[in-house]
Amino acid sequence: MQEAIVFSLNVSYGIISLALLVLGLAIIFGLLGVLNMAHGELVAIGAYTAWAVQSAGLPLLLALPVAAIAAGAIGWLMEISIIRHLYRRPFDTLLATWGISILLREAIKICFGLEYKSVIEPVGGSITILGADYPTYRIWLMVAVVLGFVGLFLWYRRSHAGTRVRAMVANPMLASAVGIETAKLARRAFVLGAASAGLAGCLMAPLIRIDPYMGVDYLLSSFFVLVVGGLGSLQGVFIGSGVIGGAETAASTILGGTGGYVTVLVISILFLWLKPGGLYARR
Amino acid sequence: MRAADAFFLPVFALLALVPFSFGDFTAYQLSLFILYGIVGQGIALCWGRVGILPLGQAMFFGLGAYLGGGALIWAEGNWALLLPCLVLAILLPALLAGLVALVVFRRQTGSGPFFSLITLALSMLTYQIALTASDLTGGFNGLTGIPPLPGTDPWGNLYWVILGTLLVTTLGTTWVLRAPIGTLWSAVAQNEARLSFLGYNVAGLKALAFAGSAALAALAGALYASQQGIVSPQTLGYVLSGELLIWTAVGGRQTVLGPVVGAVLIGFLSSELRDGFALWEVLLAAIFIGVVLLMPQGLGGLARPLLDKLSRKRKAPARDVIIPLSDAPSQPDLSFSDVEVTMGSVHILRGLSFDMKDPGLHCVIGPNGAGKTSSFNALSGLLPVSRGAIHWNGRDVTGRLPHQVARLGIARKLQVPMIFHDLSVADHLNIAIWAQNLSARDALRPSSFRRRNPVMDELFTLFPFLRDEQKTAGELSLGHRQMLEFAMSIMNKPTLVLLDEPCAGLSKLETTDMTGAIARMREKFGISALIVEHDFSVVETLSDHIYVLHQGELLAEGTLDQIRANTEVQAVYAGGSK
Repeated sequence: MQEAIVFSLNVSYGIISLALLVLGLAIIFGLLGVLNMAHGELVAIGAYTAWAVQSAGLPLLLALPVAAIAAGAIGWLMEISIIRHLYRRPFDTLLATWGISILLREAIKICFGLEYKSVIEPVGGSITILGADYPTYRIWLMVAVVLGFVGLFLWYRRSHAGTRVRAMVANPMLASAVGIETAKLARRAFVLGAASAGLAGCLMAPLIRIDPYMGVDYLLSSFFVLVVGGLGSLQGVFIGSGVIGGAETAASTILGGTGGYVTVLVISILFLWLKPGGLYARR
Repeated sequence: MRAADAFFLPVFALLALVPFSFGDFTAYQLSLFILYGIVGQGIALCWGRVGILPLGQAMFFGLGAYLGGGALIWAEGNWALLLPCLVLAILLPALLAGLVALVVFRRQTGSGPFFSLITLALSMLTYQIALTASDLTGGFNGLTGIPPLPGTDPWGNLYWVILGTLLVTTLGTTWVLRAPIGTLWSAVAQNEARLSFLGYNVAGLKALAFAGSAALAALAGALYASQQGIVSPQTLGYVLSGELLIWTAVGGRQTVLGPVVGAVLIGFLSSELRDGFALWEVLLAAIFIGVVLLMPQGLGGLARPLLDKLSRKRKAPARDVIIPLSDAPSQPDLSFSDVEVTMGSVHILRGLSFDMKDPGLHCVIGPNGAGKTSSFNALSGLLPVSRGAIHWNGRDVTGRLPHQVARLGIARKLQVPMIFHDLSVADHLNIAIWAQNLSARDALRPSSFRRRNPVMDELFTLFPFLRDEQKTAGELSLGHRQMLEFAMSIMNKPTLVLLDEPCAGLSKLETTDMTGAIARMREKFGISALIVEHDFSVVETLSDHIYVLHQGELLAEGTLDQIRANTEVQAVYAGGSK
């Protein structure tokens, strides 16, 4: 019984933390059509911010705004210097953001060194749920993320921001003709995506291994979620995280780490083969 | 590229002298960079030619290295055992690459980021496996104690073996790119849909290119094992994959030797600067971003104008290989039964049923939104059919892929002319005449460039502009593009050709030429046509039989006079709805 509860909590944690990590990539890919290869490095920057704030002796809560601002600022720089020239060249955005990811990774190496860093949980200990012990920080994280997603969903359903951004991507000239400030809107979407990647990294920092090469793992698992869930909706992000996060947690428990990775990769390839639009395709 | 031929041999002769003039250590370093350059040649083949971007190419390099290293250890210097193993070490990664590409590209048109990220994920996976399966791979420390190829010394004569390999891969790649398969790969990058409508399996063409690039990577990997004596998991990893991509981009992805130049140049710079200059790696990433933004052709692009100036423009070879026409039946037998197509909440076709059993010219008319083009799309496999079935010659063809439909003898010309913008008229004619008619051997033979058939002869008479074969399709007027695409679609005498507004945007004179050509092809070769047309003057000249569509259903059919007399049709065209 206890094992079953811990297992289902682990699966929920896997799904929810994945949804948190995917959000930044989903915003930028879903709205702007840019697959941001530097997504993982932005997550890493969020995590390193948490480490820096903690080792400076400041409260960890302060790291949240700092991480969002740091990653958002880098996203802003990326957008105005490079990405905005490439919106009509999807192939080149892939390459340019890949170049940026290498650049950020090397910069992290210079600033923080190669060794692993770890962040101490702000709330330690564990909570007993139905007789099973589970780390308090994980529980808090899950509750916060779910609430955040519900809020985001309600806002997104009522606001026209998403529609305007999609209009801009589909036909920039027409969009600006009807009074949408396309350049500004694209920049905002990009910065928002980058900031939420940083925020995710910061929230996850106490629970993960932090090193300069951590980014690529998060990029790939986020990408798998988008392949399965499809682009353009929050439901897709959650369903995709459910399939990928659930499968990875379950398969890792049974087959070990490499087995989990193989399972997820095979699922993604099968989706590309049989259902290329994902489960929640926009069209 | 042609002018580069003249430089090939002197450059290689100079390179062969490197150990004498710069010493063994430089030669040793150079040979490593050359191996990376060979991998880059494969990346350039995929990325510069076919337009698919592999992000995890180190995976195949590493696989080749592990397999080759294992073979070298196991064979203990016995050539008879070693040789077949080395061949396998190259073939297995290539096979794996081809399989992955086939699966991923089967339903993905275009070359978006999906394929690239799958290759990256696979390279991460193999890296993990190499780390954990330590019995097989030596784990973190890698496979050690690999002997060099029998009779070679990594600090001595192995350099010439590697240089010789580079000569072979360079000549081989150049030769393949100049063969018909090279033209087809360029066409993939330009317009996949046009190729599938001709009956080409585009996923197969892409898979072939990717397998070829993996073979190059694995070959370089096997030599790497022999040269380094140790293979660690890093050879599979994504860091090396990224570096390979940077070298290729900087050197130039559209040239055969560019990637090698990039790898050697950056390789030597890195070994000088990596230790002394902390920001070197950051600078290198910045250079890469700069190349992507400002200089997509890399260093090879800088050399291009010079090479173009040196090379004379080639004349197209005379067409003297006559291909007989297929003896496919000229009796079309098409039937739509209760076909429904829905997109979201919109019903595009709602129970469309009609039969077409007579040869001849058939027109499909109807107001905008009647479902004319959509019925073509349903037939050629572009739109999913949600209910009902489409039969061709008694066989159910619902839901087949575009190239499969094309191979049944149903050709198609689209409303907006679909051409390969940067390819010449000669390339277009060749691609059309090769379609469904090119064996693996033909795909490598220069004689395939000299093909002609009776349809092509007739086309040269009907459309004299086609004789200027050196012209690039992008330079043609809209009318000529329409005619070129029509010419491509009927080149192999299909049973039925679907023509979607073939006269759209044509001048009066051009319209006469086009309708004349369609009628002539019917008369001389028995090619039936199903034509969507708005222009009634065209309908008058071209229709043996007319189908009228309205709101996704068949409203009426018959001869022109019957349709004119039909009151329902009159009501629809006068603006009323029935």
